[in-house]
Amino acid sequence: MKVKDLVEFIAKALVDNPEAVHVEQLEDERTITLELRVAADDMGKVIGKQGRIAKAIRTVVNAAAATEKKRVFVEIVQ
Amino acid sequence: MKVVEATGRTVEEATQKALAEIDLPIERVKVEVVTEPSAGLFGLIGSKQARVRLTEKISPALFMCDFLEQMIARMGLTAEVEVEQTEEILKLSVNGSKMGILIGKRGQTLNALQYLLSVIYHKKFPGQDGRLLLDVENYREKREETLRTLAQNLAKKAVRTQREVVLEPMTPQERRIIHTALQEHTSVTTYSQGSEPYRKVVIAPK
Repeated sequence: MKVKDLVEFIAKALVDNPEAVHVEQLEDERTITLELRVAADDMGKVIGKQGRIAKAIRTVVNAAAATEKKRVFVEIVQ
Repeated sequence: MKVVEATGRTVEEATQKALAEIDLPIERVKVEVVTEPSAGLFGLIGSKQARVRLTEKISPALFMCDFLEQMIARMGLTAEVEVEQTEEILKLSVNGSKMGILIGKRGQTLNALQYLLSVIYHKKFPGQDGRLLLDVENYREKREETLRTLAQNLAKKAVRTQREVVLEPMTPQERRIIHTALQEHTSVTTYSQGSEPYRKVVIAPK
């Protein structure tokens, strides 16, 4: 299971420009950080009002990663 | 999802050909004209046939069902998704193994999933004004039972202590269950306080 694919899959469904969705995975011993990049116009679509969409993405990703030993962080970067 | 292209002397003719091939009624397909026909010189040189593309329209229910299946697969789980659509509600029910992962603590993951799915549902099908509901292993039903029992117990506590009892933050659906459960109660009233997503129900003695 790749959490990177999961984030990419969800993000592509949320935005207007799925081709501009890129996820980069950074890993160290204890954590996995997923950097999510989307088109400037789509930032709101992955963040949501008061960060509600971003929070939901994180909740789902963390649930999926529960069986892994590492903590997963999803960061939305410009 | 079926896609068929066909050519003909007119757009009409091309569409008829494509429809025969895709084997669907016209309401179930989206028609795009790829090339407009043109007569060309003397009807010979440079004449172009009409070309149309028919794409099968997929129902919102099937699209969401398929989408959720793919999402669950990407979470490393295997489950079956059933879909049920009424006028107001599109309900997705999931059953499989290790479903605790999809539910999470007090339904946290389930609610996050439902929220994402409903955002995507309304984005893909803007005409739909109904709600999307997600349930995993009948969790919603069981949770409703738990909340009703909780409501009765806390109402007793509010009466006994003559103090307001503040519940933990809940989703609108869950708050509605508490309010409804205590609507007819003779010695307490209920209201909500705070703002989403931390809105809580308060049970107050009358």
